[in-house]
Amino acid sequence: MKTYWDIVGDGGSNVAAQVEAQTARLRGRMAHVRRKVAVVSGKGGVGKSTVTANLAVALAMDGLRIGVLDADVNGPSMAKLLGVRGRSLKAGPDGILPPEGPMGIKVVSMDLLLPSDETPVAWHGPAQQESFIWRGMMEVNTLREFLADTAWGELDLLLADLPPGTDRISHLTGLLPDLTGCLVVTVPSEVSHLIVKKAVSAVRDARWAPTLGLVENMGRFTCKHCGASEAMFPGGDTRAMAAAMALPFLGSIDFDPRLAAASDRGVPFLLSHPDTPAGEALTRIARTIQAWMEAE
Amino acid sequence: MKFVCVLCDTPMKLEETVGPVEGSLSVTFACPSCAHRIALLTNPWETQLVRALDVKIGGRNTPPESWEFVRTMLAARREGALEGAGDVATPEEGAGPRCPFSAVANRAAEAASLTWDPSAEERLERVPDFIRPMARQGIERFAAERGYTRITEEVIDEVRGTLGF
Repeated sequence: MKTYWDIVGDGGSNVAAQVEAQTARLRGRMAHVRRKVAVVSGKGGVGKSTVTANLAVALAMDGLRIGVLDADVNGPSMAKLLGVRGRSLKAGPDGILPPEGPMGIKVVSMDLLLPSDETPVAWHGPAQQESFIWRGMMEVNTLREFLADTAWGELDLLLADLPPGTDRISHLTGLLPDLTGCLVVTVPSEVSHLIVKKAVSAVRDARWAPTLGLVENMGRFTCKHCGASEAMFPGGDTRAMAAAMALPFLGSIDFDPRLAAASDRGVPFLLSHPDTPAGEALTRIARTIQAWMEAE
Repeated sequence: MKFVCVLCDTPMKLEETVGPVEGSLSVTFACPSCAHRIALLTNPWETQLVRALDVKIGGRNTPPESWEFVRTMLAARREGALEGAGDVATPEEGAGPRCPFSAVANRAAEAASLTWDPSAEERLERVPDFIRPMARQGIERFAAERGYTRITEEVIDEVRGTLGF
């Protein structure tokens, strides 16, 4: 009897052809994006999204055309961080026109579609209790549409802010096999390092994309009254961890309450506080990424 | 997934896709050599996996609209979030050629107002498994078009000539 491989075509189901068409559409759109960088961690709560938003601003301030994809479908925050929350998307002949944040940064986030703060992302389906079976595919296809059907135009860099979890990195790299690289964010705690190391290894072992380097967030805190600076977390040496994993250490960003306040207001910190230690660190990291992009 | 006719070792061809009806798709394949037919019946989770792939078994008639998948499948969406885009039917509302599921889902919603007499249900049970969803759908459509609210054995007799069972 014939085997699967003996039979040419799929008998008219056309499933493979539709998937190929989806891939071609995505490839065509992404051909206009010079670089695609994923901001990852593995660990939640380390400030990936804040770092992404502020790096986007720093790079846009240097004249680069930047797009930001909020790849955290279930916990979207980029619309808030970049001040476009509540804005409407517009359907154009070439796709969905994304709202533009500061410095013309184009932002796409699931948050732009949700009706209220309290509304979680839920899908039409047979039963939500069993949704773990198919939710992952829903999310991947959502990201595919966000990438392929958005009128991003010509971009120098698309930054994708990923949710925690190494499995989510593979979702994006499955869609973007030509992902330029992953930027890894951690806080200097042993717990964070423990998880972030796994994410770095996962990216490396699967050869998903090059790891551009390690960013330490919330490294130190400076008292605004006496100027004393101290470590936010005891124990974790991110620079040593980067060296041990043969990763470039891109810099450490100080904890600054004004950064959190700016995020809540939807005004990127870097615009209002470029001369602070945290602002300067973000600018330095952005310049390193830019130099790397130019050298590529 | 491919199907081969065991009787004559010939690759089978897609003949018809029906549904989903109550979450189940009925996909019929036929052998071009010996006309042997089989039907693949999905359970609601398998149907959802097909949906999650954003494909239509048998192919699409029109290219997908921008963000059609997310607009169709997201359960709750902010009003006015997307300006200038045509309406895309969700699995629970409306009908139209863009959504492979909506037309049937809409009919299923209409059918929800119909009740089946136990004796009529019993008659339907005698129909072979693989065409039962199609038969149910045909009977309900027939009844809805005539304004019937109950499906009795008499209604089935009325339909019988049309559907051939």
